[in-house]
Amino acid sequence: MDIKIEDWPPFKIVRLCGDVDLHSSPRAREAILDCLKLKAPLLVELSAVSYMDSSGVASLVEGYQTAKKQGLEFGLVAVAQSAMNVLKLARLDKVFPIHASIEERLESA
Amino acid sequence: MPDPLTSFVALVGQRSLQAVREVGYHAALLVEAFYWLLFGRWRRQPVRLSAVFKEAVGVGVNAIPIVALASFAVGMMLAIQGIYTLRTFGAEGQVVLGISLSVTREFAPLITGIFVAGRSGSAIAARIGTMQISQEIDALRVIGINPVRYLVAPLLAAMLLTLPALTILSDLIALFGGALYCAGELSLPMGIFFDRSFEVLVADDVIHGVLKSFIFAVIITLIGTANGFNVSAGAEGVGQATTRSVVLGCIGIILADMVFTFLMSR
Amino acid sequence: MNASDLAIDVKNLVTHYGTRKILDGISFQARQGEIMVIMGGSGSGKSTLLRHLLGLHQPTSGSISLLGKDITQLSADAMYDLRKNMGVAFQGGALFNSMTVGENVELPLREHTRLDENTMRIMSRMKLEVVHLAGFENLMPSELSGGMIKRAALARAIVMDPRLLFFDEPSAGLDPVVSAELDELILILRDAMNMTIVVVTHELESAFKIADRITVLDQGRILMSDTVAAVRASDNERIQSLLNRTPRNEAINPDEYMERLTREIF
Ligand SMILES: Nc1ncnc2c1ncn2[C@@H]1O[C@H](COP(=O)(O)OP(=O)(O)O)[C@@H](O)[C@H]1O
Ligand SMILES: [Mg+2]
Repeated sequence: MDIKIEDWPPFKIVRLCGDVDLHSSPRAREAILDCLKLKAPLLVELSAVSYMDSSGVASLVEGYQTAKKQGLEFGLVAVAQSAMNVLKLARLDKVFPIHASIEERLESA
Repeated sequence: MPDPLTSFVALVGQRSLQAVREVGYHAALLVEAFYWLLFGRWRRQPVRLSAVFKEAVGVGVNAIPIVALASFAVGMMLAIQGIYTLRTFGAEGQVVLGISLSVTREFAPLITGIFVAGRSGSAIAARIGTMQISQEIDALRVIGINPVRYLVAPLLAAMLLTLPALTILSDLIALFGGALYCAGELSLPMGIFFDRSFEVLVADDVIHGVLKSFIFAVIITLIGTANGFNVSAGAEGVGQATTRSVVLGCIGIILADMVFTFLMSR
Repeated sequence: MNASDLAIDVKNLVTHYGTRKILDGISFQARQGEIMVIMGGSGSGKSTLLRHLLGLHQPTSGSISLLGKDITQLSADAMYDLRKNMGVAFQGGALFNSMTVGENVELPLREHTRLDENTMRIMSRMKLEVVHLAGFENLMPSELSGGMIKRAALARAIVMDPRLLFFDEPSAGLDPVVSAELDELILILRDAMNMTIVVVTHELESAFKIADRITVLDQGRILMSDTVAAVRASDNERIQSLLNRTPRNEAINPDEYMERLTREIF
């Protein structure tokens, strides 16, 4: 799994690529929580995710809750189908703010 | 019809074969438990310290009151009997020697072993037996948790740690019981009793008792767990396993004690 | 069918309990993402087959490939790795009675991963959400009803997102509504995670509802392993009697019958 961190003011973007599984999700979690420490609104971009298991989703849940507590925005962008299935299984697709693309989120602001 | 003698011989043969098989099973269990204790972390399956600690509380710390009470009573009984016997020779003064040696070399480890076998041997067999019939053992295995590593190894470690400690505690409390009675009967101040006692005792005597307790720890653990694992038929099977593990545990302890004492006093 | 997308491939499996042959020449296959239902009357060998698929017993002969690995030949370490991709919900749930529901569900994660404590908590709670047991994680298994136990067991089985899920008798002992809910859950899981699911059951209705393919066992042999439609249309007498719930009515071989009744007497 690759993690890219980008600046799209005012947003921080965490871009996850490849497999987010039991081995790699701790790094994703760390990246998300680290970005939130910068007190910036955060979007997690998932279009290049080939596989995401529940540990990956759990990291997203933790990130979302951490952001909420600090009053920061947290959203998912371009959720790939495999990740979407896991989200839907736990009915989390109705919980996370999900955007089609980063541009879409920026325009609606 | 087969004649009675043949069938008797056949029965004896079957029983012996079964006994040999059982001893083999216990030995394999012991080796495997030690294997996990020593090499578990290299196989990515370490024996957790927290599990050892939890078992140690269960089999050791919680046994303190009953072992203490029994040891006190035994110490006192030895004093009563010792003074009564020695009085016929007019040698009551020697009672301290008698009590000290028999407590540390024989009674403290034996009492501790028997009580822990009764208390924990049955509980271990019941716990593992219940897990066996409710498929919890299978569940462990399919999760990838070796049942010997998860259930037997921490228990063995806990027993090896706590039984010697309990034995030393039992030493002290039994001597205290003896001293108390001597103080009343012979007007022997307790301070003097302990002074004399520690004068006659050498490290060897205490070590002798503690070594036995290591052997008892192994016996109790193996008999309890093996009987638990071998439960196959329902609640009745669990009942039989608990009874069996207490009876075999106590007999095992007494026999091992006899053999050990025989070998060590030659 | 391409060998590489076979999740399960059993060839010529023969097994014994002691000297009694239980399974005889069992062969069947299941593809990734398929729901395979193993059916058969009581005592036909369903549970025995499942136990072999789980690697709990070594078969007499034959091979069992799971995810392309023959588990009858696998080393302990390789089997340990494979088990991370296997989830099992036992008939009685086999929840560990000394742990809370939440601890039960988290156990595979604790044993197999080094995930953060928070991640493990969230993962286990997510799976409890999936099986509609949200908020029950602090209860002990003894405080749950039969249906809740099965669902908790299912949550534990899927906590690692396994590629293979085994489910023994999901509807046994449950009322029709609860068992229909479990069937629904099995379908949802397959669709969301593309799991290969093996369900052992003797409930026809449930089997026809969830199965892609059905393997029918009878007295340790496979009568048929085919699609639902083919099984329904089969004109095999035993399958029809299973489907129509008519009692078996076998032809009697008089010599064999007499031999069975009088064995070891004459
Ligand atoms: N542990 C065992 N020891 C000996 N025989 C067994 C054992 N378990 C099952 N059997 C026998 O194997 C046969 C198949 O049993 P099982 O696989 O439980 O059938 P099912 O699950 O289809 O009801 C039965 O005849 C049963 O008596
Ligand atoms: Mg069965």
